[in-house]
Amino acid sequence: MSRIKLLRYGLLIAVGIIAVRLFVIQIFQHDEWVARAEAEHTSQNTIIAKRGEIYMMEGDEPVPVVLNKAGWMVIVDPKVANEEKTERAISEIAGDKVVAKWEDVFKDKTRRYYVVARNVEREQVKKLKEKKLAGVYYQEGNSRVYPEGEMASGLLGFVNAEGKGQYGVEGSLNDQLGGKNGLLKTITDVNNVALSIGDDNVRIPAEDGKNVVLTIDRTLQRKVEKKLAEYLSTSKANHASAVVMDPRNGKVLTMATIPNYEPEKYAEVKDGNLFLNQIVDVAYEPASICKTFTFAAAVEEGVMTPETTYNNTGEITVDGWPIKNAHSGQLGVISMQTALNYSLNTGSMTALMLLGGSKSEITKTGREKLFDYYYNHFGLGQATGFELSESTGLIQEPNKGYGLNSRYANMTFGQNINLTPLQVAAAFSSLINGGEYYAPTIIAGEMKDGKFVKAEEKKSVRRTVTEKTSETMRAMIWGTRGLQRLYGIDKPGYYIGGKTGTAQGIKDGAYTFDETTGSYVGFGGRDGELPEYVIMVKIWEGGQTLEGTADALPLFNLLSDTVIDHLKIKPKEQ
Amino acid sequence: MRNEYVSRRSSTQTSWSRNRNMVRHTGGSLGTLSLSAILAMLLLVVGLIYLTQGAKATSYDYELSGMDNEISELTAQKEDLAVEKARLTSVAAAETSQVAANMEDGQVSGYASE
Repeated sequence: MSRIKLLRYGLLIAVGIIAVRLFVIQIFQHDEWVARAEAEHTSQNTIIAKRGEIYMMEGDEPVPVVLNKAGWMVIVDPKVANEEKTERAISEIAGDKVVAKWEDVFKDKTRRYYVVARNVEREQVKKLKEKKLAGVYYQEGNSRVYPEGEMASGLLGFVNAEGKGQYGVEGSLNDQLGGKNGLLKTITDVNNVALSIGDDNVRIPAEDGKNVVLTIDRTLQRKVEKKLAEYLSTSKANHASAVVMDPRNGKVLTMATIPNYEPEKYAEVKDGNLFLNQIVDVAYEPASICKTFTFAAAVEEGVMTPETTYNNTGEITVDGWPIKNAHSGQLGVISMQTALNYSLNTGSMTALMLLGGSKSEITKTGREKLFDYYYNHFGLGQATGFELSESTGLIQEPNKGYGLNSRYANMTFGQNINLTPLQVAAAFSSLINGGEYYAPTIIAGEMKDGKFVKAEEKKSVRRTVTEKTSETMRAMIWGTRGLQRLYGIDKPGYYIGGKTGTAQGIKDGAYTFDETTGSYVGFGGRDGELPEYVIMVKIWEGGQTLEGTADALPLFNLLSDTVIDHLKIKPKEQ
Repeated sequence: MRNEYVSRRSSTQTSWSRNRNMVRHTGGSLGTLSLSAILAMLLLVVGLIYLTQGAKATSYDYELSGMDNEISELTAQKEDLAVEKARLTSVAAAETSQVAANMEDGQVSGYASE
């Protein structure tokens, strides 16, 4: 065979092989190669939605209290990085952002990824990049900034490392604040610049999160927290909470809990309870505060007036259990007003008896009526309709379970029932505002394109009691503060009322006076006008006895003066 | 009498065969080579136009990318400034400011003591 023929055959075989290979690639492996090519040319990026900011009110103007800032994570590959050089450079430039212990970083060199600093700022990253450190990488992200520091941390919550809101407003409104990420899929060149050529370019813009404006009055929040902290520094308690509401519309003006924490340093918090918003997340027994609701039910039903009398023997036996007063005096025939002034349990139990049509025993009808008022009228033991997540609490149904009469006897003075301070404050507001129940609200509106768009004003959800009953109860509750007026604690020209509560702790399944929680709920405003604020305070400490009168009442007085001054409520001219 | 030669061939055939230098004038047409060359040139021009347009589009893409980066940078700077402003105007900062430190203690508000 001639050489030319050999060459021809050789070429033919080579062309054949190429043709077969091309056929396989283009026909059988078509999809795979197209995908490979696309991966090579196409860049697919998630457009991160900007998390919504959170605002509070300063007068009529919203002011930001939670914002976003670009922050970088500095990652070190211990196998590649120079130990001494890396540590020195990062410590010098971004030492305040270092989250790792340097001795741990380089201990295990098989670990190729070690986060050494978080939330590093733009300028710091710029300086670090100039150092051209080997084995050091930078990952951009968004960090949450809380310019007010610890203020309202229990209310605001925080955003975790995955960008998810946790606790408080951040947690409850995470979907609204988080927005929706977008997508950018484009053909790119070698410099990774998106090119407009190509038919498959996709750009789905991100939907930024909503900028939420809270009804919280920023300065008042700060003042209340400061007062709580000052008060606690002289008290045997280390924990206190307060909620300030406008009873005329359900707006929450302040929601404070001490101690606070730094939301930006949430990872350093050792006591997980600090993350809880004590006003809405934690239900407890508010104790004698509930007497106001029991008395209101009896007044509304027409079976009791403030002047109604009964024989106070200091205790009433129910289901074989003697239930006593905490206060041992005022024995004999006394009025219901006196019973409320001295917070006598026998008074509220008598009101329950009267509700059931009896003067000497608790009846099924009485239980059912009390439940109806507590649950259906005042909304106790259920969610209030507040915009943030809340504990529902717990209320015993009137005809389920055992020992119902003694349970209901206890419920009349706020034991055997679990309520959140917000439930109590909202129900109490309706008791003194003329009888209208407003679902407590914390959303004032939103910031859209730099403008404040107000939320629709909330309307009354239902009537809890008639205006007349509300007026009677206002006067009764005002009546409990005789001593405060006598000693000039309540300034003249203002109409202030309130009720104490001392909840016994539970030890070995039984109530004990060794550990108690003090509470107080009260209202205030210009004399002769409907109240302009409601304040509920709670003070507690493990292993300590904190009382409504001795501990919570003075705290209320402090806050009441603060609110009057802050809201510039003018007194009635005498 | 003049004898006249009459060809048995057709007159056309006769004229072609007799005078091979005759030129037949037909409508202007190009040869295969010319056509190929022109086609190649046309393709080249179209290709060049396409490349020019592509390059132009790419240059716009670069410009857009640059602008996007600038927007991102400015947005980030705006956010940083907003954060700084919020920090400086925070209640906590106001309380610890020099202005606050120089302030005198307030008296009981008139409206609260009247």
